[in-house]
Amino acid sequence: MTPQARIRRMGWFALLAICTALYGVLHFQVWSLASEVKKKERQIIALEEHNMLLETEYLTRSSQMQLATWNRVDFGYSAPEADQFVDSKRQLARFGSHRDGSAPEPISVASVSVDEERTPFPRLVSPITGKPLDEALIEPVREHDDERRTLVTTLAQQTARVPMAAAREEGAASASAATVRVMLGGAGQ
Amino acid sequence: MTALAAPSPAGTGRIRLVDYRRRSLLMARFRVLLIALGFLLIAFAALMRITWLGAVQPAITETTMAEALLPPRGEITDRNGVPLARAFPAYALWYNPGAMDDGGPPLVKSPEQVAQELRAIFPDLDPVDTAAKLREGRPTYLRRRVLPEDANRVMEIGELALELPRESDRHYPQGSLASHVLGYVQDDKGHLGMEQVLDDRLTDPNFRGEAVPLSIDVRVQGALEDELHRGMRSVNAIGAAGLVLDVDTGEVMAMASFPEFDPNHITTNDLIRTHEMVDRGVMPASFNRVTNQVYELGSIFKPLTVAAAIDAGSITDLSRRYKANRPLRIGKQTINDSHVIAASLNAPQSLIHSSNIVTGQIADELGSDVLKRYMTDLGMGEAPYIELPGRGAPLSYGGEWSRLKGMTVSFGHGIAVTPLHLGSAYAAMVNGGIWRPATLLRVEPGHEPRGRRVFRASTSARMNQLLRMIAVYGTGRNADAPGFRVGGKTGSAEKPKNGSYDRTTLVSTFAAAFPMDKPRYVVIVMLDEPEGTVASSYQRTAAWNAAPVVGRLIPRIGPQLGVLPDEGRDIDLTELQYLVGSTEH
Repeated sequence: MTPQARIRRMGWFALLAICTALYGVLHFQVWSLASEVKKKERQIIALEEHNMLLETEYLTRSSQMQLATWNRVDFGYSAPEADQFVDSKRQLARFGSHRDGSAPEPISVASVSVDEERTPFPRLVSPITGKPLDEALIEPVREHDDERRTLVTTLAQQTARVPMAAAREEGAASASAATVRVMLGGAGQ
Repeated sequence: MTALAAPSPAGTGRIRLVDYRRRSLLMARFRVLLIALGFLLIAFAALMRITWLGAVQPAITETTMAEALLPPRGEITDRNGVPLARAFPAYALWYNPGAMDDGGPPLVKSPEQVAQELRAIFPDLDPVDTAAKLREGRPTYLRRRVLPEDANRVMEIGELALELPRESDRHYPQGSLASHVLGYVQDDKGHLGMEQVLDDRLTDPNFRGEAVPLSIDVRVQGALEDELHRGMRSVNAIGAAGLVLDVDTGEVMAMASFPEFDPNHITTNDLIRTHEMVDRGVMPASFNRVTNQVYELGSIFKPLTVAAAIDAGSITDLSRRYKANRPLRIGKQTINDSHVIAASLNAPQSLIHSSNIVTGQIADELGSDVLKRYMTDLGMGEAPYIELPGRGAPLSYGGEWSRLKGMTVSFGHGIAVTPLHLGSAYAAMVNGGIWRPATLLRVEPGHEPRGRRVFRASTSARMNQLLRMIAVYGTGRNADAPGFRVGGKTGSAEKPKNGSYDRTTLVSTFAAAFPMDKPRYVVIVMLDEPEGTVASSYQRTAAWNAAPVVGRLIPRIGPQLGVLPDEGRDIDLTELQYLVGSTEH
C-alpha cells in the first residue's frame, strides 16, 4: 500500500468517524426532543384530567338542587313576576299613560333609510316657467363663494333660489325680480 | 480438579514423560472445552431470554395522547351541553397487606394510628371501622373516590400497604337529579336509564369521545324536581311524578320521579322491593313512576273525550245542555258526581266543573268504539314511546269496549296508563292535533318526527280555548301563573284496592299546557296518595295540591324555555265566555 493510499484510507475513516459522530449527536437531539414531547403530552393529559376534575367538582358544588336551596333558604329569591319582563314594544307601550286632553299633539317623525336603494332625486320644475330647472341654475347666489353649496344643502334650507335672468335665457316667461324663492314646503325663510 | 491439574511424575524415563505431556494436553483441551461450554450456556440463556422478551412478554403499551384523553365511557350531557354523567380517572384507596412482602406486619405503624391519620385527611371516615379493617389483614377498599391532593397526603403517611390504584369513575355531578333518566353504572355496565339504553354507544371507542346530548334541560329538571319535591312533602304523598314535554317535537325537557336515588351511591335498597314494601304498596326508589307505573288518572281524561267528540262531529253545538243533576244508571252501575253542580251543563261547563255525568253522556253519544279509536291513536293502547327500558303497558285496555267501559274511560277510570301516555296525548291535543312519540334524545331543529294526525287543527284550537277556560274559571285556577296563559285540567282518582276503589287514597294529577295562545310545552304533575294538610287547605284533590305545584313551576321554567310572561296577551275566549257565564241551578 502506497503512502497516498494509506492517507486516503485514513481520510475515509476520519470522514466515517465524523459522520457517525454527527449522526450520534443528531440522534440524541431527536430523542431528547421526542422525550420532551412525551413529557409535555403527559403534562397535557395530567392538566386535562385535573381540569376535568375541577370542572366536575365545580358542577357538583353548584348543582341545581344546591342552587335551589341557596336561592330559597339563603337568599330568599323567587321566580320573577310577569311584570318584570318587557319582551316587545307592545309590552313596553302598556306602561304608557293616556295623553291629557290639553297636552300638545305628539311630534311624528318620518325616517328614511339611506342604505336602501334611493329613487333619483326628482327634477325640479320651475313653478313659473313650468319647465325643468337646470342644475347649473341652482348655483350659489353669491359669486366667489368659497363654500359652494350643493343642491342638497340648499334644499335643506327649504328654499331654492332661482335666478330669473338665467331662466329667461332659456326662453322662460318674463319675471320682474332677479331671483325668486321656490317654496319647498314648511316654513320659508 | 487439583489432582488432574498437578499430576505427580510418579515414574521416570521417556515413556513417563510422553504420557505426562499427553495428559497435560488433554487436560488443557478439557479446560478449554469447559470454558467454551460455559460461554455457550450463557449465550443460550441470553438467546432464550431475548426470545422470551420478544415473544412471550407483552410489549410496553404506548398510548397516544388522544387515546389517553379518550374517556373510558362517553359523557352524557343535557340539551345545552351541561355534563350529567361523566367518567374520569380517579384514585381509590386500596389496602394491600401483602405489599411489604417481608413476612412481618403489613403496617409500619399501628392500625389505630394509621386510621387516625387517614381520618385527618378524610373527616367522614370512621376510624374504628377503618382500624378494624386494617387489623383484619385482608385486601379491601378503604375508600372508592380520592381526590388527587388527598392521594398525595395519603402517600405522605408512608405506608406501603396503602395503595392508590387509578380507577375509572362514573360521576353524576348533579347528584340525584334526573336519576331515573340517567340510570347508573355498575361493573362498567349501564343500568336502568339512558346509561343502559346507550351502553354500546358510550363504550364504543369510535364514539365515546363525543358526548351524547339528551333532550332534558338541567335547569328545567332542577326546577321541576325542586317544586315537585316540595309539593310532595307538603302533602305527605308517598310518591310523585313530573314531566315537561315539548309539544312540537316530543322532546322530554324534564322528567322526575320521587322517591329518587343517587346514582353516585347506589344501594341495594334503591333496587330491591322487599316483602314489606309489597305489603305497603310501595315501590323502590329506582322505579320510574312517569314511564313505568300505570294509574287510573281520573278527570284529566275529560278534555280528551270532549276533543274526540268535537273532532268526530258528535258535539256540534257547545251550548247544548246535558242533564247533570241525576246519576247516570247503566245496568247496575251508577255514574255520579261528587256533588250536584247544576240541573244541566254544557260541554265547556262540564269541563270547568269536572262533571262525570255529563262527560259520560258525551262519551255515550260518541260511542265506545270511536272513543277507543281516538285513545288508540293517542298511543294509550300500548307501552309509552320512549327510549327508557322500563315502560308500563296500559291495563284493561284490550278487547271491545262496552257502553259502560267507554263511559267510564271518558272520565279517566277503567283504564290505567302512565303519566307519559297522558303527556303525549295532551301534547297532541294542544299542538294542532299531531301525536308524536316522546324522546329523551335531543332533536335537531327541523328533524322532529312527522307524527300522526289524531285531531283536526280546528279541534285543537277549540280545546286550547277550553283548557284555558278551566284554568281561568274552573278547577285549575291555582295553576294559572300570571302572564303565562296556562291551560289545564285537574284529575283526582281513587286508587283501586281489592277490587273496588279506596276512597281514602287518591292519585292527584294536573296536566297543563302553556302558553295557550300558542302551546309549546305540556306539564304533568302527579302526586301519589296526598293527604289533606295545612299546605293544601286540608284538601286532597288535585286543585289544591298538584295545581299549585304547576302554578309555581311554570314561572320558573317559562323564561328558561323561551316563553316570557305577558299579561297583555291571551287566547281569545270571548266567543265561549257566554257559555260559562252562569250555571242553571
